[in-house]
Amino acid sequence: MTKRNRNTGMTLGLCLCTRCRKMNSKSQSHCLRCDSPLHTRDDTSLQKSWALLITAAILLVPANIYPISMITNQGKVTYDTIFSGIAHLVHTDMIPIAIILFVASILVPVMKIVGLTIYLIAISFELPISKKYLMAGFHIIEWIGRWSMLDLFVISITVALVNMGQLLDVKPAPAATAFALVILLTQMAAHVLDTRLLWDRLEVKNDGN
Amino acid sequence: MKLQGKTLDKSIVLCRACDLAVSKRALPSGVRALCPRCHTALYDTPYCSINGMLALCLAAVFLYFPANLLPVLEIHFLGNIRNTTVIQGAIAVIDQGYWVVGIAVLLAAVVAPGLLLLSVLFQILIIKFGRRSVFLKTSLKQLLKRQNLVTQFTMLEIYMLGFLVSAFNLSDFSDIYFSVGSFCFTMLFVVTLFLQREYNLEHMWSFVDD
Repeated sequence: MTKRNRNTGMTLGLCLCTRCRKMNSKSQSHCLRCDSPLHTRDDTSLQKSWALLITAAILLVPANIYPISMITNQGKVTYDTIFSGIAHLVHTDMIPIAIILFVASILVPVMKIVGLTIYLIAISFELPISKKYLMAGFHIIEWIGRWSMLDLFVISITVALVNMGQLLDVKPAPAATAFALVILLTQMAAHVLDTRLLWDRLEVKNDGN
Repeated sequence: MKLQGKTLDKSIVLCRACDLAVSKRALPSGVRALCPRCHTALYDTPYCSINGMLALCLAAVFLYFPANLLPVLEIHFLGNIRNTTVIQGAIAVIDQGYWVVGIAVLLAAVVAPGLLLLSVLFQILIIKFGRRSVFLKTSLKQLLKRQNLVTQFTMLEIYMLGFLVSAFNLSDFSDIYFSVGSFCFTMLFVVTLFLQREYNLEHMWSFVDD
């Protein structure tokens, strides 16, 4: 591990604008190109990210235990949670759709919250976890997180399409709001975090890339 | 390591995820440079033809209106026929009192794609015709600053999968037909995808610099 090619912007006196990605000198307070305020490191981002993540984790509970849609089929009313909706799809032999919905609405939100928690714990408590895997996981979380919106889109289309009174009717139920907030908050938690903190704090103790 | 201004910009790039300084090298086209430490994408070769983007952008704007205003799906159930557009879908959810969900759907499927197309269109027009004016140049700056946010909220691909999933879902107990809107929406997605592939934010910023 040669120390020569481990120059960071910090040691060179340079600072990257997080908004437009222009390199500025560390002495500047605002970016020369887009006038956004510059921070070499954003230490408060860790707290913000924790706060958003914990809120999302709490909201994940109502999102999963409350029903997400209410179906009236010929006068008979049934409530579906995220999980029972997927189980219903499995029973009616629509396995591919069930898999898509399971990944988008259960696996991705849970993995996202667990992944971000591990990530934030690694920064906050300086755990010796391989930074390379953490970063790879973070990129996956950032990219795949938005796909959870799928379930909300499906609900919105179904609600607008199926409105035939007592005959056949679909309405959204409380978990939909909680689920929307889980997606929003986890996306914000990942977005707000300054990932450069991870590389700084673990640099001293463990350079196990 | 005492380089100044422009020369420095061209020779070194900082990784946005781990702050590593990497020396820049010329890349063959279609290749992306990754950070050697954390594998975040650093830069790629600007492959960004203004006229090509203008054509794609205009095509997308023309597709945008039918995609959002024409019915996407049609359901036939015991003699009842219903259809829905993308906007009606969001409004139906808001009407039920779930405005958080409705606004999220409206934002991701209608507002953000529209803003994205408008913003790119204005950027191209400013770069082509209005680079002398100071006011237009500041507006270009403001648009570029918000580009990443608008891109993040644009979820055309997910909405497309959304109406496919609901079609399969409902085909279990009724007859479902795809309407013109779903075709327009798919085309809008394809054109926007090509537009986003062509678009290079770093390259667009370089027009502000000079």
